[in-house]
Amino acid sequence: MAFDIDKYAKNSTAVQWADLDFDEFERDPLSEGTLRTLRYMCDIEYHTVCYMRDLLTTPSHNEPAVGTFMTMWNREEFWHGEALAAVLKRHGVRIDFDELKATRLKLGWQDRLGTVKQTAMSRLVGHDFVAVHMAWGAANEWSATAAYQRLAALESHPVLVPLLKRIAQQETKHVAFYASQARDRLAASKKARKVARFALEKAWGPVGSGVMSESEVTHVMTHLFAGPEGRKLIRDIDAHIAKLPGMDGLRIVEDSMDKRGIAA
Amino acid sequence: MNSNDEAPTTPPGTAGFNVREFARTAHGSHRGRLDLASLAEEPLDTDSLRLVRALRDMERTTLHRVRDLLVTATHKDARVTAFLTTWMFERYWIADALDAVLDASPAAHGLPSSAGPARRVLAERRERRGPIRRSLIANITGTQIVAEHVTTSLVDEWITQAAYRRLPGVSPAMASIIGPVVEIKQRHIHFLAEEAELRLGRSARARRITRRALRRSAWPLGSVDRSRHERTFFERQVFGDQSGRAEAARIRAMVAALPGIGPGVASTVESRLLP
Repeated sequence: MAFDIDKYAKNSTAVQWADLDFDEFERDPLSEGTLRTLRYMCDIEYHTVCYMRDLLTTPSHNEPAVGTFMTMWNREEFWHGEALAAVLKRHGVRIDFDELKATRLKLGWQDRLGTVKQTAMSRLVGHDFVAVHMAWGAANEWSATAAYQRLAALESHPVLVPLLKRIAQQETKHVAFYASQARDRLAASKKARKVARFALEKAWGPVGSGVMSESEVTHVMTHLFAGPEGRKLIRDIDAHIAKLPGMDGLRIVEDSMDKRGIAA
Repeated sequence: MNSNDEAPTTPPGTAGFNVREFARTAHGSHRGRLDLASLAEEPLDTDSLRLVRALRDMERTTLHRVRDLLVTATHKDARVTAFLTTWMFERYWIADALDAVLDASPAAHGLPSSAGPARRVLAERRERRGPIRRSLIANITGTQIVAEHVTTSLVDEWITQAAYRRLPGVSPAMASIIGPVVEIKQRHIHFLAEEAELRLGRSARARRITRRALRRSAWPLGSVDRSRHERTFFERQVFGDQSGRAEAARIRAMVAALPGIGPGVASTVESRLLP
């Protein structure tokens, strides 16, 4: 099923929340644990631009469809960050751009070398590296969708739940793009399948790991995915990834949960 | 790179440009408001069409530009990346509007190909760097590179603004299409001018890096990847006649007025604009 990029671009909007009564958060505030998870999600959404940077160092952005997608996707994710920041603000948690900058500055040399390594890798495997990025992006977007849907299911707040559903709905479109790109590109190249499998197996971690502290990663993964119902969602993500060409048998998401001791 | 160098890069919270407001009021597709029927009745001349195509190509290379900024410390500045996110989006739809103009103009098919050999100028060689070298060099430069990026982007916007100003006079239809585009870009200029002013005003290192970049840039930005004949066309069409030379002089004056840039660098920029 081809992804209609023109239609996606035309319909791409900032997620809306003006119609939701945010005063409800003052009458019925969210729990500490939920706020901590939202804070994590908010930071990650704002950091999308850093992930886009990695994509831009590959030859992929010269393709019009990919360039269009990145432009819209990056903006939608930014607005997810804004929406969550607005929720946090009603709870006295202010997220300003300077603070986000501080998180990025802390990444230091690891991040500085990131571009060089990425670009060098992408040169080495050339065009096939785009497939790796697309598979990686698909795994991330599946995870993000599952996270928003799960939080919406765990909560019963009359304002938070619809907002999370709106965000999740946009994330499913991102999934559709990445997955269709990954499917086509992996199917077309044996080398791409090999490199993508290797990269996912060796280096993939939950969205936000590597940027956020491990204690926060563990909090969010426990909050959202501990227990049998959460584990089922994790297995679903792995099942989606495993259906991509050459990825059968991968269980990277479940492994990342086990590694962090998240109870099944 | 060291903590002393990081400190003075952030503009104070009192900065006038509201990035969040800018993001909230971003302009998307222009298709609904374009008077394309009039373009069919009163077709554009070949040179104007060719200029539209050149501007479309410039707006379209935004991702390439963003990449070059993001592989440096600029990507760490969340206020700047928030701006870039909306800037990319608005430029995407400006390119789309110019595409619509080209599609509605049968003469667009007769334009000379924009492909061709590049102009090789020694002074511009730094612009031909790939992402690895850019990243390595910029990491040594540290976060003051943001000043270079906002200032060169500002000068680039001044130059493209001069090009856009050539179009409304061509026909009432073009005036109605280009007017709002210029207004959208005015906000980009506002942000970039404010950032350039603040960052250059605060750091001698930022001024030094920026002067060097201004002296060595190919204008408009991204021109190193364009063909020799397209660059010559742009210079002739935008800055070739008397009013064009006046525009170039105006740009020189604005560059010279930037903190710590000076008349010498401004004259170099001006001389690069003229055919």
